[in-house]
Amino acid sequence: MNDPLTIAGREFRSRLITGTGKYPSFEVMRDAVVASGCELVTVAVQRIDLDEVGEAITDWLPDGVMLLPNTAGCRTVEDAVRVARLARAGGLPDWIKLEVIPDPRYLLPDGEETLRAAAQLVEEGFTVLPYVLPDPVLQKKLEAVGCATVMPLAAPIGSGRGLKLRHTIEIMVEQAEVPVIVDAGLGAPSQAAECMEMGADGVLVNTAIGLAGDPATMARAFAMGVEAGRAAHLAGLIDESREARPSSPITGLVTS
Amino acid sequence: MVNGKELGLEPAATVAHLLGELGLEGPYALVERNGEPVERERYGEVTLEEGDSVVVARPVAGG
Repeated sequence: MNDPLTIAGREFRSRLITGTGKYPSFEVMRDAVVASGCELVTVAVQRIDLDEVGEAITDWLPDGVMLLPNTAGCRTVEDAVRVARLARAGGLPDWIKLEVIPDPRYLLPDGEETLRAAAQLVEEGFTVLPYVLPDPVLQKKLEAVGCATVMPLAAPIGSGRGLKLRHTIEIMVEQAEVPVIVDAGLGAPSQAAECMEMGADGVLVNTAIGLAGDPATMARAFAMGVEAGRAAHLAGLIDESREARPSSPITGLVTS
Repeated sequence: MVNGKELGLEPAATVAHLLGELGLEGPYALVERNGEPVERERYGEVTLEEGDSVVVARPVAGG
């Protein structure tokens, strides 16, 4: 099925985006990224510890996978813009997964600061993918300033709780003018499928794969969940009914 | 100062020299000098002065 996810004019065959954090090793991470079939992976940006330089993650990522730098750890507009500029100047793509998160306990994003940062980064020529609480009003504002996607969280980052904020994300999907990528909180492939059945354009998964007992197999399972959910959405789900609707004849029964 | 650590560099060393000293010639060493990002294309021409504050960063695992 040729059904690419298109973000800012660029097509991705996979609707699954994966993070690169939480894996026990770069080798396990690479195998999971390959198994997932994803073409877009997130990376963070961090100062190098000059006393312990270690290996570069980029040496382990498969060819053909696009890097999506994030602004993890940024609490303000200024921090996020600084990281985005540094990443682009140094040769990373001019795409940025924008995170402005002042709250360390629940890691919930600051919508107001995110909007300000998004507007500035779009103005500076970045392709901006903002991470937000599900908020259909904020979604429209982010679209208006030129964001390439809007990425609502399903549940707090790393919580594995699933699509807890479904009803608000449904509204976002219904009124979306740019792709809605559900980002954060998914714990199981069935939850990724649920997002896609609902009409989300894609999902971003990290912890549920990275901390799985077998990350590569879990990555493949998430890919299948995303594919199944997308196919179901396109096929058209039936309406729910409070009462049973028989699947077999109810007249002419042998026993009547 | 590089990442908060004092480094002794030869006079008129460039960003490229610094990265070479640190063994970071790879494609994704990101550099900020005195709060301003340095374009990769200019690593060979931007010189570092005594008292400069330099940040060297790179992509790492993250979600």
